[in-house]
Amino acid sequence: MPLNRAGAAAWLAAWAQKAEANVDYLTDLDRQIGDADHGANLKRGLAAVTALDPDGFAGPADYLKKTGLTLVSTVGGASGLLYGTFFLRVAAAWPSQEGDAAGLGAAFKAGLDDIQKRGKAVLGDKTMVDALVPAFAAYDAATAAGQGIGPALAQAAAACAAGRDATVPLIARKGRASYLGERSAGHLDPGAASATYLVEAAASTLP
Amino acid sequence: MIGIVVVSHSLALAEAAVDLASQMAPPERRPVIRVAAGLDGGGFGTDATAVAAAIRGADSPDGILILADLGSAVLSSELALELVEPDIAQRAQVCPAPLVEGLVAAVATASAGGDRAAAAAEANAGLAAKVEHLGPGDLPAGVLIPGAAVAGPAPDAAALVWQGAIENEHGLHVRPAAALVANLGPFDAQIQLSNQTLGKGPVLASSLAGMTTLGLRRGDVLAARITGPEAAAALAALRELAANRFGEGKKGAAASKTADADDAAAPEAADSAQTGRQIVVGPAQHLAAVIDVSGYLPGDAAAERTRLDEAVAAVLARLQAKAREQTRHFGIFAAQGALLEDPELAQTLHAGIAEGRTAVAIVEHDFAALAHELDALDDPYLRERAQDIRSLARQLTAELTGAEIDVSEAEGILIVSELDPFVASSLNPSRCLGVVTCSGGATGHGVIVAAARGIPVVTGQKEAADIPNRTIVGLDPVHQRLWVNPTMAELAEIDRLAVERRNEATLAAELCQEPAVTQAGRRILVEANIGCLDDALTALGNGADGAGLVRTEVLFADWDHAPTAAEQADSFQRLGQALGGRMLTIRTWDPGGDKPLAFLPQAPEANPMLGERGLRAMRRAPELFHTQLEAVALASRRTPVRVLFPMVCEPAELRWAADKLTQVLGRTGGHVAVGMMVETPAAALRAADFGPLVDFISIGTNDLTQYAMAADRGNSAVAHLAQGEHPAVWDLIRLAAKAFAGRPIAVCGDYASQPELVPRLVAAGATELSVRPPLVGLVKLAVRTRA
Repeated sequence: MPLNRAGAAAWLAAWAQKAEANVDYLTDLDRQIGDADHGANLKRGLAAVTALDPDGFAGPADYLKKTGLTLVSTVGGASGLLYGTFFLRVAAAWPSQEGDAAGLGAAFKAGLDDIQKRGKAVLGDKTMVDALVPAFAAYDAATAAGQGIGPALAQAAAACAAGRDATVPLIARKGRASYLGERSAGHLDPGAASATYLVEAAASTLP
Repeated sequence: MIGIVVVSHSLALAEAAVDLASQMAPPERRPVIRVAAGLDGGGFGTDATAVAAAIRGADSPDGILILADLGSAVLSSELALELVEPDIAQRAQVCPAPLVEGLVAAVATASAGGDRAAAAAEANAGLAAKVEHLGPGDLPAGVLIPGAAVAGPAPDAAALVWQGAIENEHGLHVRPAAALVANLGPFDAQIQLSNQTLGKGPVLASSLAGMTTLGLRRGDVLAARITGPEAAAALAALRELAANRFGEGKKGAAASKTADADDAAAPEAADSAQTGRQIVVGPAQHLAAVIDVSGYLPGDAAAERTRLDEAVAAVLARLQAKAREQTRHFGIFAAQGALLEDPELAQTLHAGIAEGRTAVAIVEHDFAALAHELDALDDPYLRERAQDIRSLARQLTAELTGAEIDVSEAEGILIVSELDPFVASSLNPSRCLGVVTCSGGATGHGVIVAAARGIPVVTGQKEAADIPNRTIVGLDPVHQRLWVNPTMAELAEIDRLAVERRNEATLAAELCQEPAVTQAGRRILVEANIGCLDDALTALGNGADGAGLVRTEVLFADWDHAPTAAEQADSFQRLGQALGGRMLTIRTWDPGGDKPLAFLPQAPEANPMLGERGLRAMRRAPELFHTQLEAVALASRRTPVRVLFPMVCEPAELRWAADKLTQVLGRTGGHVAVGMMVETPAAALRAADFGPLVDFISIGTNDLTQYAMAADRGNSAVAHLAQGEHPAVWDLIRLAAKAFAGRPIAVCGDYASQPELVPRLVAAGATELSVRPPLVGLVKLAVRTRA
């Protein structure tokens, strides 16, 4: 799909579909180290997002901005706030030209920067940041080497999944899971899991 | 009167808290209180847009105080401040106080006419009554209460509080911590600091030892509570320090800025885009070697001395900033700075002033004389310093005359007499296509910095000095070839080569995440040599199967104290995380030669490359070695690691190191694979002797070449022996590999980074190749197509 409203809508729909299909899994991950609401929260928020009519907006930027605000308002937990922050920033930096792989990477990077600024999480804190940092680094490396959006997103999705899986041995330093200290080690971080759905959804829809 | 906003996950909780707090004030004196709590559908949660609406509703010219309950309530409040109009946001403040206690105290203070700061201070002190009653023993660590964890005066209602995230690259390590202690010490105030993120503290800001126990890393939140007669002034000083990153930079306001400012401050991330192997063509541009000083107006002796001192201070500051920005090359810039800080140099310069000479003349002549002396010495290391001295002279002269030496705008192909690291690090890779040097070899510091940034360099081209500006030149960094004013036919040829090289790079990038398998079906692991987190991210993006060499002496080069086991383990964990959980090969401290460690002082040696390097130095500092092995053991529980011992000649050395590791693992449990560097002819020739002691080997071809060929890598007079490949070195590689057949055999020197040598390394028995991070994809391609 192109980088227009329809493409963005396909991305969000694919993300929602993945999150919905795995709602019990996400909730279960969150039960191990959190408050067991991540799956349900995200499902509720994404249902509100997919209910938006992309044709009702002037362009993809307006649509993605509304997506951000909707996530902020409907998800409730820190994850909604962080994903909302991501989309607010991505919307502002969304490339205006079709096929602008570097521009799309810059938008992702801007969104990730704001997630990190808001949540103050760094690599290794066992959060969604652990999946997203390697994902967008892989994306940038691919586009810098001259690859297009499709292959770059495929590599981003692979790196994202690797980052997600590597959260298992970590000790959480942010969010509710950090209350568990050492006991948080040995579990996959639910935020890293849902972030991977986000990037995988992009890889399957945006190229 | 101020307005108050209550942010909570639960509407019922928020409303009850407001009811309770309202009892503190008669109706006509109650502040406006707005609630943003729960979700629309009735669930628990917070909604930043609802918080924004509440802030607007509670807005007052006297300001707005926001009190929040847990986790995302605080984040939502912060986001809400970005959603409301900027003038409203400026009047609003998110208060870290506990919700119920804080709200009660804030309402009471506001109704008594207190301003926002007073209400915030009272709210923050809201826990004090409970603590006084129950005693500090019942408090979780990290709660900021005067007198709770440190000796101090009784709870004081007039306390000021502050908190902010640490932005320093390496956290609040000793240097910035010392700046904090020194700057806050003079105030008549008690300043308590804690690490909000890790829940450590509080400690007194007057104690450097206490500060270090807080373990403040980048991103951690530092919280301060200040009481005493000069509390306000101390708070202002703390704010200023934080804005200046505690003396380490000026980016303090960035936290509230947009991503644009951050992008500009992170040039290294973009540096890895190119491999530095690309063929380029463009107009030549000379960088003037000599700065015109004819317009310099001398002052009297006092004025000249001041100018000279100021110029030295300015250049030193710039070098220190460079060292922090170019983390990969910290040592290079730190070494230049150290030259400038040498007290003997200052004496010489001041003596020149006393003789009535001008600052410009002293820099010009004394530095030239010093460089000349160094040039004439036998010692190649000191000769290398001559280049540093010339670079410093250039920077000082520019500082004194106001001449522009900013090369970030330089375009096309830059021609320089020699490439100093300062210039190399300042070039803009998207404008400057390549660099040609008239003198100097391929191993100078400037060349290393340029290569790491993806800028192609051709070195030692004497005739380039005579190329007129704007002449079209082409260069091939791989074959060190230079074309001057190429004909149409030559241009076509260059173009063909450039396309070929680029296609190869594109193909390598497309396939980089795929495994590297030879045509015979052997899987070769292609890993990266890394020295910082950016390297690890670059490596991951280029498809590295792991880190075949973690240079710990580079990773911690800018630490002025020895990192603890926990600090090192944290760093290793981050590297592992950045590599997606792939294997890290941690080489133990390898100081000596050209890479000293600040926390392991070493007496000067006549032949440092033949002196106390690697494991040899560890036998002199066993506790440093022990701490690092503990770090490896700790890290092994969080991310896959193996350990690599450098500079081994005899089995006894390795046995000593392996015993230390066994002792550490005996206490911590776990298993870590052990490897040794094969970088001396002794180790290669007798490799079988080490067989029972190690699980894998890693062949360091750079040192192996240096020691086998008796040729110093830094000495351009013997560059033909020290660089390139030699039959003697190949024989040593084959011998070592044969002795370890069937076990992992890695190659981590320059040989592995040269695609054309890959087939011979694989044929010799190498199973792993560890290369410069941007080259992983190319080496993988070479494995697939050539081996």
